Amino acid sequence: MTARPDPFIHPITRLSICGLLAAGADWVEFAALRDAAGISDSVLSKQSVALEDAGYVQVRKGAVGRRPRTWFRLTPQGRQALEDHLAWLAQLEEAVSAGTRDVTQATASPVNERTAPRTVPSPD
Amino acid sequence: MGSVGRDPAALELLRVQRSRLADRMRPPWWYLTGVAVMYALVFAFPFASRFLGVSIWPFFAAALVVAVPLQWGWTRVTGMKMGFRNLSSPGPGRPARYAVVVVSLGAIVTEPLLIDRGLLAVAVAVAVLAVAAEVALQEVLLRGIRQELRGGGAAA
Repeated sequence: MTARPDPFIHPITRLSICGLLAAGADWVEFAALRDAAGISDSVLSKQSVALEDAGYVQVRKGAVGRRPRTWFRLTPQGRQALEDHLAWLAQLEEAVSAGTRDVTQATASPVNERTAPRTVPSPD
Repeated sequence: MGSVGRDPAALELLRVQRSRLADRMRPPWWYLTGVAVMYALVFAFPFASRFLGVSIWPFFAAALVVAVPLQWGWTRVTGMKMGFRNLSSPGPGRPARYAVVVVSLGAIVTEPLLIDRGLLAVAVAVAVLAVAAEVALQEVLLRGIRQELRGGGAAA
């Protein structure tokens, strides 16, 4: 494998946040990100702070009337880390499916080195 | 926070989440109505210029008065700022962006010619068709953006 995993965004919540921020929008609002990722407000707050501290996510806070609005975007560093990590995951997925294919072929094939009965030479 | 137990499943989850994000880009009725009003103002300019002697600036200002709140409301509803895409920006909506320019220029150039030849009804029909085409193209552009979001953009 050539692509390398990033342990910091390997946890599923952080991977989801970064993956959604990299989907194509320049900025994504807190509620949109929370709903798309299917996580709670507190989880998103906690993970976004961690990602911001790591330099992967940029946070912009504002307000519309009295309501506070928080917007997120991926930094170039975060984008690079995500691309590398997704490439690694894709390779892993490929390897897993290739392994599954091998196992399926091995069990389906009537003649196989592992499963085929050994021919015992006759005493004659 | 759960860790990625089965990594390939994480990719599948990410696809589902991106699809959820893309579904937010479905336009409400008022958005397409606003787009229609904005283009109606643009394509009404040749008529106003010919019959009322109005300059382009009031029309430009009126179109901006519609476009700015429309874009603001759209950003609030979707929770996403997509950024400006010009004609050279890659993506599935690129042909539609070219079509928007062609339809706009075509209508703006054709309408005065028809008005000058006394074909007022045809000029009105061209304007109405152009507005309808622009609204349809806006739908196509949004479909392209949804497709882009589902595909994962640059980090697909």
